[in-house]
Amino acid sequence: MASPDQTRLLDPETISRAESLGLAARFVVEGYMAGEHKSPYRGFAVEFDEHREYAPGDDTRHLDWKVLGRTDRYYIKQYEQETNYAAHLLLDGSESMNYGSGPITKFQYGKTIAACLAYLILHQRDAVALGIFDARMKDYAPRSDSRDTIHRIMNRLAACEPGQQTAIGSVLHDLAHQVRRKGIVILISDFFDDEDRVMEGLQHLRFGGHEVIAFQVMDPWELEFPFVGQVEFEGLESLPPILTRPAEIRRSYLREVEAFRTRLREGCERNQCHYVPVSTAQPLHEMLSGYLAFRARTTAR
Amino acid sequence: MSFLNPILLAGLAAVSVPIVIHLLNRRKFQKVVWAAMRFVRLSVEKNRRRLQFEDLILLALRCLLLALLALALARPVSSRLAKTLFGAQVTAILILDNSYSMGMSDGTSTRFERAKKAAAQSLESMPAGSSVALLLASDVVRAAIPEPTFDLSLARRMIREAPLVDRGTDLAPAIQQAIDTLQRRLVLRGEIYVFTDGQAQGWRQLAQIQRKLEQVREKIRAHVLFVGNNEEANVAVSDLALGSGLVPLRQPVRFRARVTNFGREEARDLRVVLNVDSEPPCDEFSIEVLPPGASREVTFFARFRTEGPHAVTARVNEDRLPADDRRTLVARALRDTRVLLIDGEPGAEPRDSETFFLRHALRPVPESEAPGYFIKPFVISAAEAGGARFGEYDAVILANVAELPEACVRSLEDYLAQGGGVIVFLGGRVNPAFYNEVLARKWNLLPATLGAAYGQADQEEKFFALQDRNLDHPVVSLWNDPGSGTLASARFYRAFELVPAAAGAPSTHDTSAASDRPARPAPGEPRVIARFADGKPALMERDYGLGRLAVFASTADTAWNDLPVRLSFVPLMHRLLGAVAQREDEALNVRVGERFARRAPPDWLGREVTAAPPSSAGGASPESRRVEMRDGWPAVQYDRTDWGGLYQLDVRGIDPPAVLRFAAQPDSAESQLEELPEEQRRLLSGTVRLSQWSPQFTWKAQVERERQGAEFWLPLLVAALATAVMEMGLAQWFSRSR
Repeated sequence: MASPDQTRLLDPETISRAESLGLAARFVVEGYMAGEHKSPYRGFAVEFDEHREYAPGDDTRHLDWKVLGRTDRYYIKQYEQETNYAAHLLLDGSESMNYGSGPITKFQYGKTIAACLAYLILHQRDAVALGIFDARMKDYAPRSDSRDTIHRIMNRLAACEPGQQTAIGSVLHDLAHQVRRKGIVILISDFFDDEDRVMEGLQHLRFGGHEVIAFQVMDPWELEFPFVGQVEFEGLESLPPILTRPAEIRRSYLREVEAFRTRLREGCERNQCHYVPVSTAQPLHEMLSGYLAFRARTTAR
Repeated sequence: MSFLNPILLAGLAAVSVPIVIHLLNRRKFQKVVWAAMRFVRLSVEKNRRRLQFEDLILLALRCLLLALLALALARPVSSRLAKTLFGAQVTAILILDNSYSMGMSDGTSTRFERAKKAAAQSLESMPAGSSVALLLASDVVRAAIPEPTFDLSLARRMIREAPLVDRGTDLAPAIQQAIDTLQRRLVLRGEIYVFTDGQAQGWRQLAQIQRKLEQVREKIRAHVLFVGNNEEANVAVSDLALGSGLVPLRQPVRFRARVTNFGREEARDLRVVLNVDSEPPCDEFSIEVLPPGASREVTFFARFRTEGPHAVTARVNEDRLPADDRRTLVARALRDTRVLLIDGEPGAEPRDSETFFLRHALRPVPESEAPGYFIKPFVISAAEAGGARFGEYDAVILANVAELPEACVRSLEDYLAQGGGVIVFLGGRVNPAFYNEVLARKWNLLPATLGAAYGQADQEEKFFALQDRNLDHPVVSLWNDPGSGTLASARFYRAFELVPAAAGAPSTHDTSAASDRPARPAPGEPRVIARFADGKPALMERDYGLGRLAVFASTADTAWNDLPVRLSFVPLMHRLLGAVAQREDEALNVRVGERFARRAPPDWLGREVTAAPPSSAGGASPESRRVEMRDGWPAVQYDRTDWGGLYQLDVRGIDPPAVLRFAAQPDSAESQLEELPEEQRRLLSGTVRLSQWSPQFTWKAQVERERQGAEFWLPLLVAALATAVMEMGLAQWFSRSR
């Protein structure tokens, strides 16, 4: 039986819309279940891909006899295998994610994204792993394609509270080292961290053959900065307070935010990652279905 | 540099207010827990210097604004600085003499027109930002603009519309009021401008004026412009009065007009005419020569064809001062005069009666003509007096009446209060105790108490007589002219000593029985009409309410004197009767400036009265008043009697509509055009700047040299305003999002 916390994380509307779109991997991923995803491994499945010349040691079962009869040459048939993929959901659980101007914080929003994606992935019989991190990976659920996995993931998400400073770069490096099988890494964070380190981490993951999707979650007030009068900003993640008149620096602030997001987007594009800017004011189903539709359009099967 | 309002310099302390507010504001902020600190920090670091700089600028502007305001309110002045950068605003009081001598014309313009022109010109010479008040000075001060106004166009209009009035001149109160006004206001430079004709009459309080102006000389400069020219000729009707005692219908009524030559040259061929209402002249008189300074009394006769008030106007040849060439009075013609004679000693034979001579003197015609004669005497005995209704008679005469019952005295008092006339003759039957205790002390009706009777009535050797000269009272002034006979020929053997009563005290009798009636009127001042040659009063009078009572010290018959058989007895009785019976009509003639008041019937109370001023008022528009209570009675009143001539009051809202008429006569002293002597002008020039008007006269050269000093409140206020605008603009500019 799902707990109320778990139920909250699974937005029914989001799930129903996203299910029809599916979560198709943009690139071929490594998988061991015949699924909806192309496998980078040439194997012996049903779908022919290409021939290659026989080399000593090859399994003679895959020799194309017809070609041998016609050309007298030894060619091995290669097949493209549809395989299951493994998705790694990485949720930033640092203190900065605990901000929310409205009823929902960035962390709660991030949790909902993670939960919905986990449900969809498992629904497709793909494997999913969940990692919640701040300066380190503080909670990790290993990948699994079991239908029960969803409950475990929900429990972990529901139990987790944000805290500590963030260090996305090092967490990504660690993940890249640990995960050998190529898959999809879905990173959900506000990315309020050292940009270069983050980019290095993404690069590392891409180097390992992972598809990376970066959801940058921000609060609408962080995007609009609508404060008036004199305000003292008390920083999360142990930053010293700042007293200022926000109305007078609003444009400057927005410029900084925009520049940061632009850098992030460009960095992602350089590394062929998907960058998805998200506002917590945006209904989740809209955001997710919009992204998945975009993915469906751009992903070649 | 000094300050007109130094106490407000304390306002400079307000400079600390923005600083305190700034410091307090730093403690007042909203706390927000925030995640995206890196962007805030970056933005703050980039803008910190700018924000601090802007804060400092705004703080400085706010402090400057308050400092400028405090300085402006303290009104800094520099008396040494010539008018340059900041102008030389003045606060001026213009005093325009609008007495009737200012109506003197030189053939092209009057003095008043010249004064107005010069006053308007003085406004032109004033620097921008000056303020002006306007006082109209005659024998009263009328403030056309009581407090200085910056609206010079209003001042021009008020000068243009200022009326000339038929009043005298006294400049001292106007100058005093101007000084008071300027002293009450905090001004750097006060100026008083007096526009007058230089008539000595207006400067009769010269010493006082000079002393006042000397005291304020440091702060207030006075300029006097004489607009008069040395006028040689002015002949005026200086007085017009009723010569007869009574004004009967269709009988010749005597009027006395006095014509005076106020000029320096003799006047020749003067034609003086008398008009009744708007009819052609009914009488005229020619004066061949009237030497300078001389007066000539002219007697006129007129007949009135209808009952009621008539305007009687005396005119002399018009000269350059037309205001005093005519004079109007109002006389009320009566169809007949009913007189009740109460005989205290009827006697056995008619000739022995106390009222025998009196009755014949009042009706000096044969019995056959008696019914048509305008005086109708009715005789009753003292015993019948208790049943008499005094209200049916125009006058009541007590002749040697011993005493009267209390009820009768009460009726007599009521009759007097409501306008009746009473004459009391004394005699042997009189009970002095009753007259002194009841009539004099208790009811306060008599003008005198009775002393001891003196002289012997039963011998003819020792007698005394009435005065034969210096007869001032209008009743007897006729006999100042030897041509009219004399009163002094009558022999008096016995008389009561008349001891004048105290004036003003209301009667002490019990009024509880008559509490529904208005309060008792205060009796008037006792006056002596005629004296005996030794100075003792022989005939006295006193006003009581709207009526009048006269007491004669001796008898009305020949028991104590032989006056009844003298020629002067008839005119004396007629004039005395006129004085008491038509006393109320005296109020129909007032001096210019005096209040007209006449008792009205009760149903007039609250009605509207429209007063039309005389034609000489120069187009002054009619004014409305209401009939209001005065001294316990409804009264028609009008106080704007600024012009000489006939006033007509229409009482509206009653049927049939009623019309009241009264006349105002100006003070003839104003006709005296004698100018302020050269010696006094020299004296005055020590305190004020004197100028004489000429067609080329301009104020600019006269006043500009003296306008030193400058006041800085205006530039400071402008600077404060500019600072405020700048602060608002910059605050708006700085607070925009960047």
